[in-house]
Amino acid sequence: TNSSDGSGELKTVFHDPENFNVKHPLMNTWTLWFTKPPSGKGDNWNELLKEVISFESVEEFWGIYNNITPTSELALKSDYHLFKKGVRPEWEDVQNKHGGKWAYQFKDKKAVNIDALWLHVMLAAIGENLEDEDDNEVMGVVVNVRRGFYRIGLWTRTVGKAQGKTSPEQGKEMLLKIGRRFKAALQLKDNEQVEFSGHTDSAHAGSTRAKAKFVV
Amino acid sequence: EISKSVEPPQPSAAMLSLKSARFLEVRNELVNYPDGFKSPNPALNVGSKKGRQYDKEFLLQFQDVFKEKPSTDWDQKLRETVGDGADGR
Repeated sequence: TNSSDGSGELKTVFHDPENFNVKHPLMNTWTLWFTKPPSGKGDNWNELLKEVISFESVEEFWGIYNNITPTSELALKSDYHLFKKGVRPEWEDVQNKHGGKWAYQFKDKKAVNIDALWLHVMLAAIGENLEDEDDNEVMGVVVNVRRGFYRIGLWTRTVGKAQGKTSPEQGKEMLLKIGRRFKAALQLKDNEQVEFSGHTDSAHAGSTRAKAKFVV
Repeated sequence: EISKSVEPPQPSAAMLSLKSARFLEVRNELVNYPDGFKSPNPALNVGSKKGRQYDKEFLLQFQDVFKEKPSTDWDQKLRETVGDGADGR
């Protein structure tokens, strides 16, 4: 094995996928969750939302991704959620209740490669391309499989208000920046609008979509 | 009659490496990636405290390289969480 040569040589999975001695750390630990489709027997949300696994390296991410059902093969009403560890992917979580989400619906399901889109959004999240190091806004990303559409969302901690030393204008600008990066990760055209809405607005609007607060 | 004992599945070499490998110190340690593989984009980590930002092109290189399941009980774990997941049950 590598310890016998005593060289302290760094061996990655690219050198030897079976025998490596360093792995690539992520900035955050992430947890993958899955929402099972309801069985129709009055099951509650808590029983349908399942924590699958947490990970903190690039290598672990790919081991999971390469061994889990692709989004394109999930049943209707399924969701995958990839959230920072410690945050439940629910509006009611104390860390989400003042937040909101950027979201885009892909209405022509046959025309999109949802597996590639979801992968690219997850890579943008774990690679920390969606926010800057001290923004502390991104809570997680989610894909919803529905009859008429796929939807990919990005949940944020705030709705762009003033906080601490930031002005309302700066708070809004940070959210818009994150929205533009999310849109870029989804490889959308300029005229395809990604919309932001607050979770409480969405809750009050019932199952219909809340009026968008921002668009990019 | 020969009685067969059922051994618990043994972790693969890749699973063991994943567990024992230490975290690379991305900002301080320079890896010589093998020919044909590119390093993370260094511009991403300029001014970063931890240096753990990776561009999509770097991350995608792992897709065909690391395919090992997270653990020996992964299939069971998947059945309990994602289920068969697929349409038409």
